[in-house]
Amino acid sequence: MTVKIRFFARFRELLGTDIVTEVVPGTMFTSLITTTARKNPAGYAAIFDEKGAFHEFVILMKNGKRIELTDAAKTPVVDGDEIAVFPPVAGG
Amino acid sequence: MFSEWELKRYKRQMMLFGDDGQERLKKAHIFIAGAGGLGSPISIYLAVAGVGTITIVDMDVVDQTNLNRQILHFDRDVGKKKTASAEEKLQALNPDITVNAIDVKIDESNAVKLVGKADGIVDAMDNYPTRYLLNDVAIAKEIPLFHGGIRGFYGQATTIIPGITPCLKCIFPKAPPKEVFPVVGVTPGIIGTIQANEVIKYLTGCGELLTNRLFIWDGMQAHAEELCVERNPACEACRGITTKTPARTKK
Repeated sequence: MTVKIRFFARFRELLGTDIVTEVVPGTMFTSLITTTARKNPAGYAAIFDEKGAFHEFVILMKNGKRIELTDAAKTPVVDGDEIAVFPPVAGG
Repeated sequence: MFSEWELKRYKRQMMLFGDDGQERLKKAHIFIAGAGGLGSPISIYLAVAGVGTITIVDMDVVDQTNLNRQILHFDRDVGKKKTASAEEKLQALNPDITVNAIDVKIDESNAVKLVGKADGIVDAMDNYPTRYLLNDVAIAKEIPLFHGGIRGFYGQATTIIPGITPCLKCIFPKAPPKEVFPVVGVTPGIIGTIQANEVIKYLTGCGELLTNRLFIWDGMQAHAEELCVERNPACEACRGITTKTPARTKK
């Protein structure tokens, strides 16, 4: 099955976007993003802390619905899911 | 009532929202938090549109590194207070409006008083702690918060109507770390102009507001999109707050 990952802002600069990827059934949200972000160490470090947890400011969405960071590790992705990962943009 | 000069000044936009809309702009008081990258286009467009009273707050001095994007401030203003520079430019653009430029750091002790009886708050800040404070003030006063943020070629904006739409904390519960962010002037130009457009629609009552949607701009791809955003029932800032009538209809 395939899912699409969309990164925004700084995450997009580091990791690209609209990444369509094959996943095995039962893959959890967090592990999918972890695997995808590992392509680029700076991209990984922008999203995850040194313990491998999401930085607390990261926003996750699945098909337009927010996923809490604490739920992401136990939320499976399913075929056709569109996943968005973005940081709050802070400058003015 | 409008002077003949004002009627000519606003003629082309009164074709859009009439005398009534222009009167609403004239009677309005908008609070702009920040006279930097976002605050520049926001305040310029609200001034020329004829928003009757503009309060603009900033604590900084114009620096050379501001000049690539903060178009309120000119080369000759380096070293001047941003508030003095902003007041001079905005009054020169439109002498028929009142500009209150206040040189102070917005903090917990003064935010409520600074906003006063303003009809709306425009977020032109560069940090989340102050944004959260403005979010609290908007909720307490039941007035909208027009949010914008930028970094590099990327930007975001949304219009927050307390009690109806998600608040800033519903959407972004945790602040990102502080940084010296890269930016090119066109990005706050685009996002600030969207915020000013929201203010004008809100005050005149025309159009659809950017509510329950986060507008996201990618200038590298020249691509705009929006994400639906929802209230967080457990939000520490707006939990349990309801408003029967949308704020704009109270006007």
